[in-house]
This record gives sequence, C-alpha cells and structure tokens, in this order.
Amino acid sequence: MKHYIYKVLLILGGLAVLSSCKKALEENNPSGITAESVYTTPAGFETLVSAAYSYQRWWYGKEEGYSISEMGTDLWASGAGDVTTDLTNYINLQGTNGSLTTEWQQFYAAINLCNAGINRIGGAGLAANVRPVREAELKFLRAFYYWHIVETWGGVHFTLNETQGVITTANKTPAETFNKQIIDDLLFAVANLPVTTADYGRATKPAAQAFLARMYLTQKKNAEARDMALAVINGGYGFTLLPAYADLWKMSNLKNKEVVYAVNYSTNLSQNDLIDPILNPLGHSRGSNNGHLHFAMKYDDQPAMIRDIANGRPFDRYMPTRFLLDLYSDNDSRYEGSFQTVWYANSTIRPAGMKIGDTAIFATKNVFAPAGKLYKIFDRNAVYNANGTVKDQLHYVSLNKFSDPTRTSANEAQSARDVFVIRFAELYLIAAEAEFNLGNPGAAATYLNVIRTRAAKTGKVAEMQLTSAQVTLDLILDERAREFAGEQIRWFDLKRSGKLVERVKAYNPNAATIQDFNLVRPIPRTQIDAVSNKDEFKQNPGYQ
Amino acid sequence: MEKEATNQICMSKFYLSMAICCLFCSIVSAQNRTITGIVSDGKNGQTLIGVSILVKGTNQGTSTDLNGKFSLSVPGQNPILVVNYVGYVKQEITIAAQSQLNIRLTPDETALSEVVVIGYGTVKKRDLTGSVVSVKGEDIAKVPSSNPLESIQGKVPGVDITRSSGSASSGVNINIRGTRSISAGNGPLIIVDGVQYSSLQDLNPNDIASMDILKDASSTAIYGSRGANGVILITTKKGVNGQATVSLNSYYGISKVSRYPTVMNGPQYIEQRRQAYRTTGNWNSPADDAAIFNSAEYGAVTNQQFLDYQDLLFQDGRQQDYQLGVRAGTEKTKVYFSLDYLDEKGVLALDKSNRYSARLNLDQTIGKVFTTGMQAQFTHYEQSNRRDPLNQANKIAPLGTIFDANGNFIVYPLAGTFVNPLADEQPDVYANETIINRTLLSAYMEFKPFKGLVARSNLGVNLNADRAGSYADRFSIDRNGSVPKATYSASNGHLINIENFVTYNKEIKDHSFTITGINSLLYNRTDNIAASGENQLLKSQLFYGLGNTQNQAVTTAYSMNNLVSFAGRLNYAYKGKYLLTATGRTDGSSKLAEGNKWAFFPSAALAWRVSDENFLKDNRVISDLKVKFSYGVAGSDNISPYSTQSSLSRIAFAYDDAAAPAYAYAPRIGNVDLTWEKTKTSDIGLEMGFFKNRITATVDYYDSKTYDLLLNRSLPPTDGVTSVIQNVARTANKGLEIFISSKNINSGDFQWTTNLSFSRNKEKIVELAGGSQADVLNSWFVGSPIQSFYDYEKIGIWQTADVTEAAKYGQKPGDIRVSDLNNDGKIDATNDRKIIGTNRPKWSGGLENTFTYKAWDLNVYVFARIGQTIYADFLRRYDPQGINNSSTIINYWTPENPTNEYPRPNKNVSLASTLYSSTLGYADGSFVRLRNITLGYTVPKLILEKSFIKSVRVYATARNPFTYTKSSLLKEYDPERGGSEGAPMTKLYTFGLNASF
Repeated sequence: MKHYIYKVLLILGGLAVLSSCKKALEENNPSGITAESVYTTPAGFETLVSAAYSYQRWWYGKEEGYSISEMGTDLWASGAGDVTTDLTNYINLQGTNGSLTTEWQQFYAAINLCNAGINRIGGAGLAANVRPVREAELKFLRAFYYWHIVETWGGVHFTLNETQGVITTANKTPAETFNKQIIDDLLFAVANLPVTTADYGRATKPAAQAFLARMYLTQKKNAEARDMALAVINGGYGFTLLPAYADLWKMSNLKNKEVVYAVNYSTNLSQNDLIDPILNPLGHSRGSNNGHLHFAMKYDDQPAMIRDIANGRPFDRYMPTRFLLDLYSDNDSRYEGSFQTVWYANSTIRPAGMKIGDTAIFATKNVFAPAGKLYKIFDRNAVYNANGTVKDQLHYVSLNKFSDPTRTSANEAQSARDVFVIRFAELYLIAAEAEFNLGNPGAAATYLNVIRTRAAKTGKVAEMQLTSAQVTLDLILDERAREFAGEQIRWFDLKRSGKLVERVKAYNPNAATIQDFNLVRPIPRTQIDAVSNKDEFKQNPGYQ
Repeated sequence: MEKEATNQICMSKFYLSMAICCLFCSIVSAQNRTITGIVSDGKNGQTLIGVSILVKGTNQGTSTDLNGKFSLSVPGQNPILVVNYVGYVKQEITIAAQSQLNIRLTPDETALSEVVVIGYGTVKKRDLTGSVVSVKGEDIAKVPSSNPLESIQGKVPGVDITRSSGSASSGVNINIRGTRSISAGNGPLIIVDGVQYSSLQDLNPNDIASMDILKDASSTAIYGSRGANGVILITTKKGVNGQATVSLNSYYGISKVSRYPTVMNGPQYIEQRRQAYRTTGNWNSPADDAAIFNSAEYGAVTNQQFLDYQDLLFQDGRQQDYQLGVRAGTEKTKVYFSLDYLDEKGVLALDKSNRYSARLNLDQTIGKVFTTGMQAQFTHYEQSNRRDPLNQANKIAPLGTIFDANGNFIVYPLAGTFVNPLADEQPDVYANETIINRTLLSAYMEFKPFKGLVARSNLGVNLNADRAGSYADRFSIDRNGSVPKATYSASNGHLINIENFVTYNKEIKDHSFTITGINSLLYNRTDNIAASGENQLLKSQLFYGLGNTQNQAVTTAYSMNNLVSFAGRLNYAYKGKYLLTATGRTDGSSKLAEGNKWAFFPSAALAWRVSDENFLKDNRVISDLKVKFSYGVAGSDNISPYSTQSSLSRIAFAYDDAAAPAYAYAPRIGNVDLTWEKTKTSDIGLEMGFFKNRITATVDYYDSKTYDLLLNRSLPPTDGVTSVIQNVARTANKGLEIFISSKNINSGDFQWTTNLSFSRNKEKIVELAGGSQADVLNSWFVGSPIQSFYDYEKIGIWQTADVTEAAKYGQKPGDIRVSDLNNDGKIDATNDRKIIGTNRPKWSGGLENTFTYKAWDLNVYVFARIGQTIYADFLRRYDPQGINNSSTIINYWTPENPTNEYPRPNKNVSLASTLYSSTLGYADGSFVRLRNITLGYTVPKLILEKSFIKSVRVYATARNPFTYTKSSLLKEYDPERGGSEGAPMTKLYTFGLNASF
C-alpha cells in the first residue's frame, strides 16, 4: 500500500512540474530591440534615418571606396603597399575581392534600410512638417546608393521593398530601371528637402539638385543636366569657389562655401564608425577618414626623416601615374594644391651639413639630377620607366589633399576630415560637359574657364584660359582629373564618358590588361554562392 | 522569476510529500550486537580503506577506516555481511557467534566489477551496454596540470583534446568523436556531481574520484539534447567512515617556451633588406646601405646594434599547486573537504593566473530512509592577461637599442612604425585583469523507502560573477598612438538545475529490471555590463577611474534560456548475459521556435556477454567477451538564445559633432522556424579480456549522421542582412576506437603495464544549404571535413630556366609557382584551387607505460596526432620588402639560391600583394610527443610505521619534454598550438609531493 502512496505522490509532483513548462519555454529578451518597437515612434524613426546616412561612411574616406572609385583608372598606379592590385592593375580581378564584397554588402544593407523607412514612414507618427523631409532624405539616399551599385556592377539586384524573412533569391534588373528610380527619387527629394539644414551632413535641396545634375549627365540627359547644374549655380544658395584651390584641403576649412554635399566625420572620433564592442559593434575596422594613409609615399625610410604627424603615416597604397602628373601645367596651382613634393628634415640623425627644416627629400615629375645635393631626389626617371610604368613604388610625388596634421599622433589612422562628395566646382564641369555633348563647345569653354581661372597661379589666369576650339571630351576629362584627383569620382567619370578602357590603356601602362568587360565589376562570391536561383543570378561576364 | 517560483513551489511540495512519507517508515530493530573486524588484501595483506560492509537485506552498513578496521551493529541471528570494494571480488560472510572478523578480499583481476557512472545512476562494468570510458581520479592526478582534461589527453579513444594556448589562463579544446555541428557548439556536456558545469579548469584533479566519458548515443541519450556531443561525468571524492585522513598534494614547476619559431637576427635581416633592394636594382653592395636603410636603422647597422626581442620578452614561467584534503566521517555523516591554491605564471610578463578554491562534500543519513548531502565548490581567480606582443616582436626590425642614450625607453624603435614590443611592460602602460568567482552547489535528498526504489532530488546551482578591466595607454601596443582607453565589464550569471529522478530495481528469477524516470529543469540567466572611456585624467587609475574619462560608453545585456526535460530508461538483463538498455527523453528548449520547442530522443542498446555462455566458460585464452550494439538519436540546440528573433543594432553616428543615435538591422536575422539539430548514431563495440584479463581490449566502431544542422547560413547580401541560423545541411562522422591494456609483467616487486589508445575519425559534410556543393567563403565543401583548407597548390618557385614558361602566367623567376590544375594556361580562383588539407587528424593515439619496482614508479606517456594540416602564422612571417622581420626558417629565392621554398625578396611587393602568398602557410601538422614522464618514489610503509604520516610519495615530472614533427618546417614550432604565433606552448618540469596523514 505504502508503495502506491509514494508513486501517486511522485506522479502528482511530476504533473505540477509539467504545468509550469509552457511558461518556462518562453523567451524573455529585455535587452534586445526590434524594428517594430523602435521604428514606430518619431524618435525611433529618426534613428533609422541617421543609420541610413551612416552607410555612406563605408565608401567615402575608406580604402575599399578609393580602390573601387579611383583605382583601375588612368590616374593611379600601385604603391608598394597596395593590397588590391586586382582593382588597381586588373590582375585576376574576381568576385573574391574584399573591397567589392564589403561595399556590396553595406550598400544593400543601406538600400534595405531606406526601403524599410520609406515604406514604414506612415506608421512612425512623425510631425506633418518632418515627415516629407525625412522621406525625401531617404529617397535621396536610396538614389545615391543605387547609383553606386548600378555604376559599379551594372543591372543587378533591385527592390523597393524591405526584406521580410529569409530570401535566398536575387534578381537581375536592367540598369534602366535603376536609372529611372534614381531620377524619380531625386525629383521627390528636390521637391521636399529644405534649402539648408541645422544638422550638418544631412541632404539638402541643392545637394539633391547637384546630385540629380550628375545623374542626368550620367544618363545622357544633357539639357536636364545643364539646367539642373545651373539651378544650383544660380540658385542663390551662397556657394562659391574658394579663391585658392589649396585652401579647400585645410583641416580648419572643412565647412567651406564650396561644399555642396559632404559625408561628415565628427571631430569626436568616438562618434565615427570605428568598430567598438560597445559604441559600434558593426563598425569598420579602421574608422573615420583614412584618405591620409593611402596616398602617402614612404618618406620615413629616408635619411634625416622620421615619421611625424605632419607628414603622416605612409601606407604607400597608391601613387600617381606619370600621366596624371603631366596633366598639370606650370601655371596650374592645383599641382602644388594637391601634391606633396618636398619633405623637410625632422630627425636628430641627419647627413652632415643638413639642418632640421632643410629639404631632406625632393620628388618631382620633371627630370632633375644635379650632383652633390645633400637631400634625396626622386625625379621623373627615378620613379618611372621610359614607357611610363613604375620603377620605384615606394618614393614618388604624393597626393596630400587628405593629409591631416590635426591628428593626435603620427600613427593615428582616424582623421575627422569630411569627405567632399559634391563640390561646387563639379557643377561647372557638369554644365560644361553637358553643353559640349549638346554641341555647344563655346558654352563649355566658358564653364571650364571658371574652374581654370580659379586654378591659375597668380598672374597666370590668361595662360589658363581655353578657347571653344580646344574643348574635347578628353580635355574635359583631363580637367576633371586635375580638379578631382583622388576624390572618389574618377572611375565614374571615365565610365560615363565611355573612355575607361581607352584611357587606361593609353595612360596607365601598369593596368593595360583592362578589357571591355571590366566596365562593370565582379559580383561578390558571397552573393553568387548564397543565391538559390543560380541559373538566373549569374556572375557578370568575364568574371568568376 | 515567476516561472522559477512556480517550480520552486513544485519542488517544495515534492520534498514535503517525501517528508510525510518518512513518517510512515518505521523499521523495528531487533536485538542488535556489535561486531568489529579488519579487511585486508588477500594477496599482499595490506589493509583496505573504505571497504563497504553491508548487512544483507537491510540498509545498515559501514565502511572500513584508515586502518582497514570497522565496527558495525548487526541485527538478529546469523546475519550475512556483504563486503564490497572496487577492484575486489564481492564476498558474503555469514556470521555465527563471532564478534571479531578478519576478512581477506581477493583482488578481482577482471576489473569487471568496477562501477561505471552513467547518467542518473551507476552500472557495473560487466553490465554496460554503451560506450563509456571510466578514468579513475588517481590517473587524472598523475599528470600535474591546471585542467583535469589535460591529464586524459590521448588516453581516452575518441576524445580529441588539445590545449588552446600556452597562456596561463588558457583552457583546452575538446571534441568527442569529431565535429558534427558547423555553427552550433561541439563541446561535450560536462556534469560535475550531477550538475552541468562547463568550467572544468576550476577543479583540482585531486578532488576527482572518477571521470566517466559517455560517447555513444545510447549512453548519452539520458541527457537528450544536451548529450549530443558526448557527456563527461565527474564525481568528486566523498568522505569515508572512520578516522580522518588528511592528504597533501603539491607540486612546483618551471615552465619554458616549447618550440617557438625564431625570427631573423640582425645580420640575416640586413641581408634580406639588401636582397629586396637588389632585386629592383637599388642595391649592389654594402656601399648602398645608406640608401636602403633610414637614418636610425643605418646607425644601428653601422654600429652592429642587434636585438633579439623574443629573448627580451620570454621568461621562465612557473606553476605551483598546494592542495589539502580531508576525508572523514562517521556511520551517518561523511565529509570531504579540500583547499587548493594554484599559481601559474606564463612565459611572458603580465601573464598570470591565481586560483583559490575550496570544496566541501557532505553526506548525511537521516533516519533509515533518507540521505541528504551537498557538494559545494567555490573558486576564485585573479588573472592578468598579456596583450600578445609577439606579433609585434616578430615583425619589428631586430636592430637598435631598447633604451636611448639617456636611459629612456624608446617607444618607437628606429623611429619606425611599430610600438616597442616591450611597451606594455612599462609602468602604467597596460593592464588587463580578470577576477572570476564561481560557486557550484549541488544539494540532494535521497529517499529509499523500500528495497529497490530510490527517489532523489538534486538542486544544482552554478553562480558565476566575473569582471574584467583593461587599460591601454596611448603608447601601448593596442593603442599605437591613439587615445588611451579603459574598459570595464562585469557579468553575473546563474544556472539552476533542478532534477528529480526515481529508480526502481527488481529481480524476478533470471530477469533483472531497472527503471529510471527523470524530470529535469535547467534555467540559465546572465546579465552583464560593459563600459569604456577614453583619455582618462591619470593613467595610474588604470580601469578604476572610468568616471574620469571622456567619451564614456556603456552597455548592458541580458540573456536567458531554459530547458525542460522528461526521460525514462529501462535496463533489462536476462541471466546477466543478455542486456538491454532503452532510453527515451523529451526536451523542450526555450531557444527554439514556437511549435518546434519539443523533441523526443529515443535510443536502445543491446549487449551479449558471450564469455558467460557455457562454450566460453573456463576458456584459457578468452576470459571476457562482450558484444554491444547501440543506436540512438540525440539533438542539439547549442546556439545562442534569441536566434529566432530579429533585432536592431546600434551604429555610432553624428551630424557634425552632435551625436545622433542610429539603429539599423543586425546582420543576422531571426528564424521563426528554428528547430532541433539531430544526430543518429549507431555503435558496435567489443569488449575483450584475455589470459585472466591480463590483456583487455575494447573496440568501438561508430557511424553518426547529423541532419537539420543548425547552420549560420550565409544569405545573399542583397537581402540587406547576411545570415540566418537555419536547420540546413548534414554532416557525417565515422570512426574506430581501440583501447588495449596489458599487464606485461606482474611479478612481485616488478610490474609493467601498457595502455594503448587509438582513435580514427572521418568527418565530412554531406549536404550544404540550398543543395550547393561548396561554400567557398566559409571553406565548407561537401565530402570534406568542416574545417578544410582550400587554396592554390604551391609546387615551388619559378626558376631561372623557367623564365618563358613563367611569363605565360604573367610571372617571373623567383615568384611562387602554383599548379595549373585544369591545365588551361592560366591560374584562376575558380578552377585552380583545391582542398589542401584539414585541421582534423587522421588518427590520434596514446601509449602509456607504467613501471613499478619496489617503491619506485615510472610513467612514460607518448601522444600522437597524425594527419592534420596546420596553417602556421610563422610560415607566412615573411616580408619580401625586407621592412618587417621574417622567420628564420624562411629560405627565400635568389639567383644564387634557387630554392623552391620562398619567393624572391622585392622591395616593391608586399606579402599581401605577392601572388599566391597564402600558399606559404601550410604544413603537415602531424606530431608525436612525449607528453609526460614521471618518476615517483613512495616511502616504504616500514619507515613511516611509527610516525603520524601514513604515506608519502615524491615525484618529478616533465611535461612535453620532446616533440617530433613530421614536417621539417615545424622543427621550431609546437604543432599543438595549431598555427598561431601568440601565447606559445610550454614545457613544464615539476617536482611534487603526495602525502597523507
């Protein structure tokens, strides 16, 4: 009898436990947050918009962005530190390229967020005057990201919807669909964005107009491009060309009147995008603007030189082609305004007779080989071979537009320099190219001369002027090279003008293996491997 | 909390009912009398401690004290005493009138009466149906080590153990029978005294009574989903009846770096730089040195100032341990108590770990039917962790000096790029300290109301509190000139495990049944805080002054998961020859999706004791033979909680300098269909004994198939997210395990035993997500092990004679030559890469020889791990530009040295931009090492007879003194480190003492 009592009691005990099971298996996640809880409030929705902007930092000021937007063009060759020779020199460029993989992923994350915001904005409870502005910002950004995607990879995946659940397919959409959407989104942005913003870095009406002008030009809508460029030039927005080109790059002058649209980096580096387990778990491994690292030559292996803040931390990734250096005439202030050619002695150990502050290194595009100089000379023939290929990948005339002497130490990789995405100067060059394409070389020359007048050294304005007869598409591209070298636009300019392959073959002998299929970049392997509709979503031709 | 409360109420009801039941229990005792006796070994006459003596048919019993003596009150007329001791044949003695007994037990050479701990119970080795390996505590304590698992490395077939690094606080990597899961965890379930406890490094090997490793599906099935990767059951020592024994175990050892690859010295470095510039035509003779070294370097070159940073960084490490244990008890109360201090100092400064632990095991019999007890362990760690300086030390130029002419430390040697590798050793530059407090409490109440029935409730609590703080100054290796940063993090976790189980045992004629029913609840909670700040006011505050920093950041997080389980097991034996075990377990996991939370895991095992059949009885050769077969399904939910949920992630952002919070989708999305990963395993085993079990052998063959794998599946990035945990893909593991133990010589003074263990496991991916054959990004390939290396195949270096052929591939003499696998005249990523190898060994094994001669004992243990490929950092420690230093082993090509090993130095080409440079890192990682050699001396009893000391043994041990690697590339490297250059492995030489009083 006793046995039964025990057994009954045990069973009862077991049943009591069983009844509490269901509740025990519910998940409680108080520290996690979801789209449903955050994006449905006005303050929460603002975090979505800010996040949508943040993805620009993955491209602008980053090595990945420089590699894709400036390398493989007529302007740059590999420095000894180049780690993406596939992009720079078209050696075995494939879908495994890390820069392309990163940007593809971040751009589509940005697109997904823009789509989510645009489609969810009605449920966010935004004030009536705020809602159209935020929607316009998101559409501006979507157009901006889609432009990078379609120009880099061609007609790839396109959607206007937020991803719901697990989707293992992707579509191939013609570039025309991207282009139409880009225009539609920008027209909405132009109509709804305010002229100025209190939050530096947000898109404004002139920024949207300027970008729209660039898009019209890209899409061969030359009249619209010209008109939209002029709408900004004559819009009374207060933009102006700075009198001296070199002043554009001063750290004290980042918010200048020539900046139409910039990707902002905060001087408080902890608000930038460096990966950090607390502040920024999804951030970039280097963070902030890194442009100062990549174009600097290795000066600190030379006599009398040690690494310092002013001369920067030389990553020695990219060096100018001889062609780029030769584009600048002696009348053009942009050569000195863009490049460092002299390094001054800063080390306690120096060749006898050299004082601190004396020239220690001189790099020049000219032939210059005097005997008996105390300083080191890297002249045209020391750096380049006769055929224009590179001889010395370590020492060369170095682009220093992005150098940052305000960093707190020589090795600090993060710079707070904003990236100028659209400068006022570009609008004149857009207008010039559009007018040239419309058959008006005279008008084109007029706009080009605005830029060349500012670029002229003191007393050399007349020598810098062009006549309408001189204007050709190549000349416009040369002018853009002089004006924008390094500013993450060259690849797009060459592609738009149909001159990419021709000019690379002609002017960049290190990258002469370029072929027509290189007009689009390979789709990352991570995408090709992950899609289930492999028969439809294939690699771009010529790549694996 | 509410849920827990409900369960605790359930629990208290349960105990209350048990207490009430107790009232019914009244066993009337008849006239008792007391008998005393002494138990000794029938062969050598030594008295035996802790022998169990039970009055047959009752619960009355005792065990012998330190002198082998016992005293027991026995009831009625002619009672029968059952005398039982591990390793001896059980005796039953009928007592007539005598009150003084002299019992001599016969050693059981068959060892089959040894008890093996299986989940929720024990079974005699002879009745075992599954694949379980039992290791005795004394074997674990033989090798002085900070982690008990290190001691069984290579000794248990099917268990692959490697030390994870050589740093003082590092743990071990352990895999049982290969890896099944790709994204989910593969570590075994570790149960200490019935409670899940993954922190095995907390345990002192001397506290362990036994370690039982459950490998096949039938044995692990009782743990359901938790047992999918095998189960390690650890039982700690208990008190014994009788006079207290105090034991003291201690060792002191010196550790040294074991096989660490050197880097080039000054002259070799200079030569490489010269070659790099010679290749490009910038160097012809030492006269050009001034042009290829910067001014600081050139000064060092001309003054012959050379440095060996490894030598400056490495020091002798230390490991010392002091453990004091007390075993005591009365008939009703048994106590085991121990205190332990372990001090480990690594081979790098700032790498230290101190462990303080205390254990109290208490068992109390209450009345006639209740036993209650508690096992408690508290562990406190104070650790200091060194940020790896070796990467820096191995690439910095070995030139110059550490201090300048004024005696100041040079932060950037040679005015170069790298912070001095010794920077972190300077005062207040770097600190990274961890404090861990862990408490393991296991309380039980056992209830034996009548013969055959045992009901037991366990309450296990595992409390974990730790904090980590770090400070890195501006000129530390971490910060390299960036703003100083301090971090502080703390976490609080508790795991509560409530288990109730009932076992009922019944024998009806030739049939014997044991039925076990289990209910188990597991609650896991952790919350944590992490904070950081930059640029603090005083660096001397290290991480204690985060309030005085700028850019303060803080985050907190919470995580929970629960598991509810019900299980039942039937053990059935017919005539003790035909054995059956059937197990079923249902698990419910909070981590899985609604509707998929529950799963049922069945298993069955059969065994046939062939040697008990008449035709083999009294066979002269075969003394034992058992055939076993088992089949079962196990599951895994070994993924992080909340994998079913999609969440947002924070992004730091600002407009101008005004911070703006930003939240975007986390790259991994939730899966609302998540369910169990399952593994079906069949196992065929043989247990054999020959020549009266002087030679015993076990052989197991298993075949396991894992499906619905919990895979962190890569999604097309066009989704805007990149991964989801999904039940896709399949893997398979097959393997063979052999263990042979032989008493080669067993004659009086001299004994020699040999143990040989061998395991071979073949692991492969059977299916990947979406039916694809390869996931190149993750290096997953159908048909290959999970961790495979996929790359070009290096066949040498292009030689001068090959100049035309090389040019076809756009290469030149001195470049790396790889195989054009598809012979299409070009090398491309899709067609010319193949699987180079895997980090899984083809086989591994151990050979242990123990010699005893009189008071001396010698143990020599060799461990082998064969067939794995390693990808070694130091083999890619090569800078063709000659700027950074390179490993000494690197034999680079020059026109005068037409080697096929490394490409030609070239100042214009970094390693990253050297074509196919990834191929330089592979090496056959096979190694054989003398894992341990111990020489011990036990002071003869005669000498100690009159002192209070009971036994003393002193020993000296060398751990890892010799290693042989198959690949000559690894002649300077410890392959157990697995390829990394950080935290080198160590050799340890110790001197130790075991004493008891």
